[in-house]
Amino acid sequence: MRSIALTKGVPDFSEGAVSFNEEGHLERGKTPTVMNPNDAFALEAALQTRVRHGGHVSAMSMGPPGYASVLEEAMESVYADDTYLLSDRELAASDTWATAITLSAGLEKYQEEVGDIDLVFAGFKTADGETGQTGPQTSWAMDWPIVTHVIALDIDPDERILRAKRLVEGDVDEIETVEAPLPCFVVTDPEFEPRYRKASHRLTHKRLRAETQRRADDHEEQLTTWDHEALNLDPDYIGLDGSPTIVSSVDPIPKAPSEREATMIDFDDGEAMGEVLEEMQPYAAGGD
Amino acid sequence: MSEFDPNEHTVDELDDHLETVDDEDVLQTILEAEQAGQDRKTAREAVHRRLEAIGAIDDDRDGVEEGTETEGEYEATKEDVGEEADGEDVDDVEAGDGEEADADDGDEEAVSDESEDADDGTDDDASAEEEDDGLSQPTRDKKHVRALDGGDYADMWVFCETQQGELLEVSQEMLGKARELMDGFEAEYGDDERVVAFLMGDDCEELAEECIAYGADVAVYHDDERLERFLHKPYTEISAHMARGQGTVESTDWRDYDEPRYILFPATNNGRDLSAKVQAELDSGLASDCSDLFIQEEEVSNPVKTGEPGVKKTFEKVLHMKRPDFSGFEYSTILCLDNPSRDFHPQGASIIPGSFEPIERDDDRDGLVIEHDMDLEDDWFRVEITEYDQLEAGIDLTDHDVIVCLGRGIADDPTEGMELGLDLVDAFEDAKLGITRGIVTSSYQFEGHVEEYAKEERQIGETGQVVAPDLYIAAGVSGAVQHKVGMDESDTIVAINTDTDARIRDFSDYFVEGDLFEVLPRLTDVVESGEMTPEAIADGRGGDDE
Repeated sequence: MRSIALTKGVPDFSEGAVSFNEEGHLERGKTPTVMNPNDAFALEAALQTRVRHGGHVSAMSMGPPGYASVLEEAMESVYADDTYLLSDRELAASDTWATAITLSAGLEKYQEEVGDIDLVFAGFKTADGETGQTGPQTSWAMDWPIVTHVIALDIDPDERILRAKRLVEGDVDEIETVEAPLPCFVVTDPEFEPRYRKASHRLTHKRLRAETQRRADDHEEQLTTWDHEALNLDPDYIGLDGSPTIVSSVDPIPKAPSEREATMIDFDDGEAMGEVLEEMQPYAAGGD
Repeated sequence: MSEFDPNEHTVDELDDHLETVDDEDVLQTILEAEQAGQDRKTAREAVHRRLEAIGAIDDDRDGVEEGTETEGEYEATKEDVGEEADGEDVDDVEAGDGEEADADDGDEEAVSDESEDADDGTDDDASAEEEDDGLSQPTRDKKHVRALDGGDYADMWVFCETQQGELLEVSQEMLGKARELMDGFEAEYGDDERVVAFLMGDDCEELAEECIAYGADVAVYHDDERLERFLHKPYTEISAHMARGQGTVESTDWRDYDEPRYILFPATNNGRDLSAKVQAELDSGLASDCSDLFIQEEEVSNPVKTGEPGVKKTFEKVLHMKRPDFSGFEYSTILCLDNPSRDFHPQGASIIPGSFEPIERDDDRDGLVIEHDMDLEDDWFRVEITEYDQLEAGIDLTDHDVIVCLGRGIADDPTEGMELGLDLVDAFEDAKLGITRGIVTSSYQFEGHVEEYAKEERQIGETGQVVAPDLYIAAGVSGAVQHKVGMDESDTIVAINTDTDARIRDFSDYFVEGDLFEVLPRLTDVVESGEMTPEAIADGRGGDDE
């Protein structure tokens, strides 16, 4: 099995370091870049496939040269053998259409130069753009089947099919079991959980981790960077030029007018806290 | 894309930062970010100065940008359009003919030629190595480019998703919004453009009629037993076929345009996937997870869209697609606009369920129901659904006496914070734990069973559940508006926060100033003891007095 795990760098919103400038806009420049948290589930799925069936996993991303660190992070979590970065000024400001075209070019070049891909794993939505479109659009550009919102995955390498359970949202939620031929795109749901039932799987997992740790020291040697010329992409159809959508405005969500007059309570002031506790009393378990 | 975003800084700050940058590519990235953003003349000049300083460009060529045009034009443009529009002289002005420009290594490539000296002159060699057809046809014959140039567009199309033989509520909601928008469209522009519902499934003619009752003027449906459940490939193919006006069984008199002007999809798992694929196939753009829409003109100066630097162009009848962004602190308004020689229509959006109200169902409404005809290839059904089950209903946070909601105030120790919240929940008779979107989108590592509680199903807010309990306790919740709409109907709201400037103060009845890691355990003790006296909380010993 040869798998590609797609990943993306996003601003780290988890640190509580979200700050605003004077106009009330988010200061993204001051936020560190980390791997998109939802991609962790895609990487887990790629890793599960590798542990169970062997083979090769490559991590691929598109972004500025600094994203090498994101790929390094991906390498450490998916124990990727090597990493590929699609990076070029011409790719700046791509929306999802342009991103999908670029990623598909990267995947095709990979197939030409490295090897045939069986599975492409992508996460659902990124923490910054949250569009959730990249997986489906890239699969469209490749004209490969896609299975999305995957929560459990089994591969049958002999039959060359995958079986997956996926979540369907609607007025009621459903779980579907689907079968799809390889090569195929798999978009994982945040509910995805890898399963390693056999002892041999757990041993393999351990061995891969040790190998990766050795590799990670010189991760730059496993990094291949392709620019738009290497990918044979026309600058008019990628980046800002190739993007149908633009962001016309970003507005801080307005501070709502004060609708309630909050009584300020010093936690150490017993009298004041008494008032709050009175509000809570009727709902206490066991008490009336 | 740049790690350093010049738009976040003053030009002076930018200047300082540039002094630390010696890498031409980094400088170019900053320049692009500036051009795509604020595009301040002074900022661009600062980058140019730095590029000169590191020897990346010649002084007398006056910067990278002009490599795109003849010098004469550049100068004229610069002087004619004045300061405001002056910012548009980016290197992308000849959108549409870049193919040819590339072929002879033309103007546009001048920039990269300069910046990639090592590769310069080896372009031909490099491309000769490609299996593709080289520089004459980059982007592989534009095989993904389907866009029209100068096409005719009309109507607002709405994908009406179904489930178990019924329209989803969000389908009805979108039809209601589309009705309102297109009624407004007619009043504003005098053109009677329609709401067109499209749907597919096994035996869905009746649902098409229902779409009319919910506000559609036309409903196009495709019946096939293999379409009972959503499948990416056939649903995409059929949708695109419908949108292009193909496969109409009866006459096509009802439409005389190439593709829809606007198109809406539900932001459900399947609806989002379909929106992405259909818009890719129609070669247009999409704003996903929108919560508001409006139509108005828009003046744009982005040269990629205007086709000419320094010129402003007004786009008419633009669908403005508003979506809560990032962690719920901002709204972005997304536009899908034609490039000069590449139309980006239909303008597409996916819509968060619950954003809009359906209109009242009226089975006497007049409308046109049209069956769609198309041969479905077997190959499109290679992905097969072998089984499906309805899931148990998820966590329902509504209809409880008390909600304890946790926000990012738990960041110092997320697992412990969740445990403390759960302890307080248990102290109440009928309470549930909720979380903010901030927690759902965080990368906190929760340990043990706590992780169960950190899932989207417990999210309170605009994109989660809307609750109105008797008592709402918000611990470490900053109070983004997207959260507020999910809880501000609660009877009594108690905020626990260290930051007295937190927005939540404006919609709380009590604001307990304190660290949730201290406040929650003591509250829990007291509530558990049933001894709600000031003394009990003050001495922190709960009910020990008894």
